[in-house]
Amino acid sequence: MNLASASRALVSEDFIEDLRAIVGDRLSTGASVCEQHGQDLTYHPAAPPDVVVFATSTEEVSRIVKLCAAANVPVIPYGAGTSLEGHLAALRGGVSIDLSQMNEVVSVNADDMDVIVQAGVTRKQLNQHLHNTGLFFPVDPGADATLGGMVATRASGTNAVRYGTMRENVLALTVVMADGRIVHTGSRARKSSTGYDLTHLMVGSEGTLGVVTEVTLKLHGIAEAISAAVVPFETLEGAVNSVIQTIQCGVPIARIELLDEVQVMASNLYSKTDNPEQPTLFLEFNGSEASVREQTELVRDICDENGGGEFRWSIRHEEREKLWEARHNAAYANMALRPGCKIMVTDACVPISKLATCLLETRRDIDESGMLAPIVGHVGDGNFHLTILLDPEDDNAITRAHALNDRMIRRVLEMGGTCSGEHGVGVGKMEYMEDEHGEGVAVMRQIKQALDPQNIMNPGKILPAR
Amino acid sequence: MSETYKPDTPEQVLDALKWALAEEQTLDVLGHATKRGFGKPASGHNGLDLSSLSGISLYEPGELVMSAAAATPMSEIQATLDEQNQRLAFEPPNFGPLLESGPEAGTIGGVLACNLAGPRRISAGSARDHILGFRAVSGRGEVFKSGGRVVKNVTGFDLSKLLAGSFGTLAVMTDVTFKVLPVPEKSRTVLVRTEDQAKGVAAMRDALHSSHEVSAAAYLPADIAALSDVSYVSAGKGGLCALRVEGPGPSVEYRTGALRQLLAGYGETDELHTTNTNALWREIRDVAYFVSGGEQLWRLSVPPADGARVLQKITESICGRAFLDWGGGLIWLAITARDDAAHQEIREALDGIGGHATLIRASEDVRARVPVFQPQPQALAELSARVKDSFDPKGILCPGRMG
Repeated sequence: MNLASASRALVSEDFIEDLRAIVGDRLSTGASVCEQHGQDLTYHPAAPPDVVVFATSTEEVSRIVKLCAAANVPVIPYGAGTSLEGHLAALRGGVSIDLSQMNEVVSVNADDMDVIVQAGVTRKQLNQHLHNTGLFFPVDPGADATLGGMVATRASGTNAVRYGTMRENVLALTVVMADGRIVHTGSRARKSSTGYDLTHLMVGSEGTLGVVTEVTLKLHGIAEAISAAVVPFETLEGAVNSVIQTIQCGVPIARIELLDEVQVMASNLYSKTDNPEQPTLFLEFNGSEASVREQTELVRDICDENGGGEFRWSIRHEEREKLWEARHNAAYANMALRPGCKIMVTDACVPISKLATCLLETRRDIDESGMLAPIVGHVGDGNFHLTILLDPEDDNAITRAHALNDRMIRRVLEMGGTCSGEHGVGVGKMEYMEDEHGEGVAVMRQIKQALDPQNIMNPGKILPAR
Repeated sequence: MSETYKPDTPEQVLDALKWALAEEQTLDVLGHATKRGFGKPASGHNGLDLSSLSGISLYEPGELVMSAAAATPMSEIQATLDEQNQRLAFEPPNFGPLLESGPEAGTIGGVLACNLAGPRRISAGSARDHILGFRAVSGRGEVFKSGGRVVKNVTGFDLSKLLAGSFGTLAVMTDVTFKVLPVPEKSRTVLVRTEDQAKGVAAMRDALHSSHEVSAAAYLPADIAALSDVSYVSAGKGGLCALRVEGPGPSVEYRTGALRQLLAGYGETDELHTTNTNALWREIRDVAYFVSGGEQLWRLSVPPADGARVLQKITESICGRAFLDWGGGLIWLAITARDDAAHQEIREALDGIGGHATLIRASEDVRARVPVFQPQPQALAELSARVKDSFDPKGILCPGRMG
């Protein structure tokens, strides 16, 4: 990483006044507001912008970006600040455009099962809004992120196996490009065959190509019935093989999560439960009542054949919540293991046939490193997270955690996997881009150069400095 | 087209592109040339025939992933998947007969480059949603790869999505990796007989809103239904709405029953079992009803609830035959051939609703004259041009193919 060499932009008093002419009082240069907008929840160091503006419309964002383009000042879009790889750090200073006040659900088209929202609407706010329509939006990263931010990071969640990630659920976008132009990509029509798929070029571009201001999303019907199940396994292989066979059978499973024995232990401590401290699968099935029962029983048989222990399941709401408690509380349980610690969350993804091997080797590395790092996996996709707890008393913690993560990523890349399944690159994964993509990085650079020749859109992210 | 080059390896593809760059020659990229009739006519100086780049290089049924050279025939891919009872979930159509290029469906690279999808588009997405990674040579004469074989990957710009549907204008794909999925145990189709197109669209909406996991939804008016080889469909002598459910046996039976009950108010219901279901959806997928007749063919994509209304507006002024797929979101419209393919009237009908119309079949001179693809607003067109420039600054790949 060669971030320090990029010079900080010049943000003059006149420039601030020009911004004020656009947004009035919705602007702050105060240290605390700027710092808050340059810091995420992880170990990444803060890099505050020079000024934060709170935008209220696409037109306003366009005017702000035009001003920044004319003055060569960086633009960093900000939603809820829940990204995990330093995406929002203002490495060269500049303007953080906070979109959280653009939080209107513009229109729900129940007949077509789609919705248009402003970028600052959060996923929970959207689902509350959809209450009573029989529809919901499925993508559920842990935090209550904004939908604009979820587009930018191509977020996913626990039910990606069934409903896909942001990639599969965005139909159209309004984007302010680097020169301030407003572009509408895609349409509410399901299939776009008019030119290149610019919508999906923007999805996952982490604010480096433009500012997403409005999003058209696909909605899904709420399942008539849901069942949840929990099953511990003697071995990790047994758990992973159950997942592979389940998917191969074509069971349209909604969620399938793995907690390793360390994570189960952490959750037991936190929730005062007594789940067997073994690799454990948490499952959820959606559909009609008959199909849910059938899916659950089929998967129970598969788990039995693979050495699964007691298969507990239920279709009743309270019991489902209880069964999944350990999974829902995993993040809090980890924090409680070492109060006051910072965390580093890894995000590797491997072909599912390599998952068991990868997890076992990684667990051995963790144990040898002496660090505390429970593992949670969205195993249906081969995606798993280590939550490495960083002891604030230990000066070397970040270095050791980096080494652990680095070793794991090299392993994952060798297995044909990726360093990031759902969190994105930001600054945290830039050093692996060349290893993972080779010449593909040059192609990405050419696209970046073509769409943002001044390099003002969230500079210093995704593409490593040459 | 003066000459056609036929590389045997990806390295020779690179050589061909370097040559073209040096000599300022343009290239039309071909697999089996089954989709030459789709899009703007090819106008390159030379052809680049990839048909020697063929063969499946990786197939992991347990992992639901396959890699193949770009010009691997679809027939070979289907046959290999059949052996493991798997399939391409996006249900790629075979437009060979429709585009008068022969009985075959072409190559996997062609399917991805044209971003094709069949009736399962509404539940499984299109080719674009199933491509995981690729290897290609860009118009700059540079080899690159993107993605890989994992389903989730958020490391940088999603180049696979960009190449899907780019008609060979950005880069020449040499290898592709894509998702495959198990074939469900059983498929059934619920038929709801109604002459009223708007009612048919409403029935599809209700079915798609239900929790019965409908994987495809189409409406065939009486004149189209009469052409079906499935007797239950043609013998009814009327229009009907068709809804497909797939999955394990008991669940399919339950859902079929529940759908019939749910939709009884729209008309008489009936059901097709697996064989007839497969036959019907193959006809719809391949637009078999319009293979003969020599009409010009349009594909209109609209928000599903607007499908019936748009179609009514068009057929008020233009003489044609049509049916709806994708729950009303896709209109297949065959019109009596005209010099202008009625493009203005058809696109005017889409004004203000956010849809688009693509001319799928017309003679080469008509396709040369008429905008085959929906014209883009200026800002978007300029953005697309910049993307094209970043991949192919000299414009050597498939010039003019996308209009």
